[in-house]
Amino acid sequence: MNEPVMTDMRSEYSNALIKLGKENPNVVVLGADTTDSLKTSEFGKEFPDRFFNVGIAEANLVTTSAGLAVSGKIPFASTYAIFLPGRAVDQIRNNVAYPSPPGKKGLNVKFVVSHGGLSVGPDGGSHQQIEDIAIMRVIPNFRVFIPADTIAVSKLTSLMATEYGPFYMRMARSKTPLVHTDSQNFETGKGITLRDGSDCTIAACGITVRMALEAAETLQQDGISCRVLDMFSIKPIDNEILEKAARETGCIVTAEEHNIIGGMGSAVAESVSESYPVPIKRIGAQDMFGESARDEEIPLLLEKHGITSFNMVKQVKEIRSKKL
Amino acid sequence: MGLNYYQIKKNVLRARKLVIRGTNTAGSGHPGGSFSMAEILGCLFNKYLKFDPKNPQWEDRDRLVLSKGHAAPGLFSNMAVAGYFPESELDTLRKFGSKLQGHPDLKCPGVEFCGGSLGTGLSYSVGIALAGKIDSKDYHVYTIMGDGESDEGQVWEAAMTAAKYKVDNLTAFLDRNFIQQDSYTEKIMPLDKKLESDNLSEMWKDASRWKTGDKWRAFGWNVIEIDGHRVEQIDSAIAKANATKGVPTIIISRTIKGKSVEHMEDNPAWHGKAPDTDVVPIINMELDSQFMIAPSIIAGDMTNLENEVKRCVSGRADYIHLDVMDGQFVPNKTFDHTKIKELRPLTVIPFDSHLMINDPVKHVRDYIDAGSDIITVHAEVTDASSFGEIHDILKQNQVGVGFAINPDTELPEWFYNFIPSLDQLIVMSVVPGKSGQKYIEETHDKMARLNVILKEHNFSGYIEADGGVNLENIGSVFADGARAFVGGGAIIGQQDVRDAIRDFRNEVLKSRRGLLLDKANELGGTELVKKWIGLHVVGEKKEEIKKIAQERGYL
Repeated sequence: MNEPVMTDMRSEYSNALIKLGKENPNVVVLGADTTDSLKTSEFGKEFPDRFFNVGIAEANLVTTSAGLAVSGKIPFASTYAIFLPGRAVDQIRNNVAYPSPPGKKGLNVKFVVSHGGLSVGPDGGSHQQIEDIAIMRVIPNFRVFIPADTIAVSKLTSLMATEYGPFYMRMARSKTPLVHTDSQNFETGKGITLRDGSDCTIAACGITVRMALEAAETLQQDGISCRVLDMFSIKPIDNEILEKAARETGCIVTAEEHNIIGGMGSAVAESVSESYPVPIKRIGAQDMFGESARDEEIPLLLEKHGITSFNMVKQVKEIRSKKL
Repeated sequence: MGLNYYQIKKNVLRARKLVIRGTNTAGSGHPGGSFSMAEILGCLFNKYLKFDPKNPQWEDRDRLVLSKGHAAPGLFSNMAVAGYFPESELDTLRKFGSKLQGHPDLKCPGVEFCGGSLGTGLSYSVGIALAGKIDSKDYHVYTIMGDGESDEGQVWEAAMTAAKYKVDNLTAFLDRNFIQQDSYTEKIMPLDKKLESDNLSEMWKDASRWKTGDKWRAFGWNVIEIDGHRVEQIDSAIAKANATKGVPTIIISRTIKGKSVEHMEDNPAWHGKAPDTDVVPIINMELDSQFMIAPSIIAGDMTNLENEVKRCVSGRADYIHLDVMDGQFVPNKTFDHTKIKELRPLTVIPFDSHLMINDPVKHVRDYIDAGSDIITVHAEVTDASSFGEIHDILKQNQVGVGFAINPDTELPEWFYNFIPSLDQLIVMSVVPGKSGQKYIEETHDKMARLNVILKEHNFSGYIEADGGVNLENIGSVFADGARAFVGGGAIIGQQDVRDAIRDFRNEVLKSRRGLLLDKANELGGTELVKKWIGLHVVGEKKEEIKKIAQERGYL
């Protein structure tokens, strides 16, 4: 594979917000003392009257957003992943997801967080959010995205502004390799087939998508045709693309930087077990916490949890023998 | 514009009865906290909130956020009275398929906030207020918070945010009833000062214990502290809050959980419990038996009426009764509207102006302008046409409509049509004109006759007894049906007005307790009498009520 082009999700999110801010006066942005890091402060410079920094007060961040949303605003509330779903789940549930104006489901709040998963690195296990997908996808009315690259970030940010309802989108801290092209279309609930294959499928999201593509390349050299899906929309999950993969390739490996319990792998397993059960192997944090790793050591941290293209190749080879 | 005192009082009563109806039918719910905020919601719904029940999503409406969501029956009851849905809908409270959920929900059009998880309503209100600022809207956000939920850290996160963003389009009320689910707030998590004993009245005796206002002031808020059951204090606080620019306002309202039903008052057990069906009629009778004490200042020093008003204020009078005499309708002359206007700035206590003057229709506007909250004119000097005019002017100006009859005057038949919208009927029990006369005993029979007529014509106001009312007869006057009591020499003539008013109240309370026991006995004999007594667990009430029951031969 070619050397990847690395780009920064937070910068792209910030650009997308400013563009939205110009198009739609109802777009407002909230932060909790992480606005320079998230780069949402750029929106604040452009639109000072529509930008609110509520301090280190995540519960307040969530509920204030709810109040703005019920009054017709489209709030984008952002901070680090570790501080939002875990800390303010009650407010997310009771103030954003549950309240449903007539004919609507939930309030129109968009949570976009950065620093998701193990790849946060040096800050250590206390800051590596590996439970957020489980928390967020269990809450009714929420839709949950993990974009793989900045093209996805940009397009999904615009999508969230136009689609009514509560969303949660988790970005990575470090620069990520581009895996999509500018012409790629993103739809809620629609996975993307990045590479076709007939012997097995790797379903990935976020930083594992590029790894999955590398694994497929390696597998091809061994004569194994591997399909790669970008399952950026974890909720709603694309049942159709998964059933098709199960039927046509007979086994699925999932990979994510999240606990294997309750994450994207679980969502895939739930879906496939109801449509066309085939063997599934979940790669991700093996129900244990992360730890500090300097930027150049992040691959080691991920490797400790088996989140590598090498392990994907290994798991694909193993699971093929279990095909029904 | 007047205080609209009676309209608020009547609708507060209606709402309280609906709370009882709803929670009783549901078999669960939170009457205690619904009653502590009853007057606050009454003032908001009946005077300040801009809303349209037919268009609940009207974008310029004011927003009411009930942060203490468990008091949902109180909110729903006010919404029913305001016309959002029929009162009978309260029978569906907490039931499957109802829009009246256990906690307020957007499922019910007109509800602004899904309450239930405590401590979040203020943040939500800040969001609404910020949206209003962005859009340059004139709407105001009113938030009702509980003292129990002030334990939540998020309340203080929101407090800082509101001050930072100067959301002066937000007014919060703290329903400071001193009780949360487990026990008294000052035992669980003191906002003021830790309560060491189990006697809540310690908190009321010593104002220096109150620190809650200091907390909010330190957070950058405009703080107004009031008695949260006094309509006039709530009214004045809201007006001040709305006029305060650049900072948010919190109105710390000292209230009583379960207010208006003795056995629920200050009793933590009524935080979340519904009344049983067999006691509901007795509770409703108790709710119908609220009463007011109105000292008449002309019984004091006529050369220093300012001081008499001040004595009424420190004595905690419900109204101040102002006897206006013109020297023609009655031989004496007291003062006119110019004096009332001078006295008005001294207090927000409602002015109950009793016009003993000829041609009241010519002067009524002067008395409105002077700041009267209730104006009473005499049957002897009005007819259908002139009273009709007075009635309409008063209603338009949100001033209570009163009508008075002298001892030898019967209620004129032309007046019957006005009974349904009458706020106050003064039944003179002395010949008007001077103070110091004795109560005319025949008035008891007259009251019995009047009650029949009033009931037939759907009277929903208050009968005010005026003349010769004292500690000896006030109990029987109450039993006759009077609910407001003018006290001349028996109150203003006493050294300590506060003691005198307290004694008046205690006598009425005794009489009321007796009537409620009569009702219990009538409905369920000794068994219900015992049950009713047993409900009164706080303070000395139980023993006192038991004594009354024994005197009446029920035990």
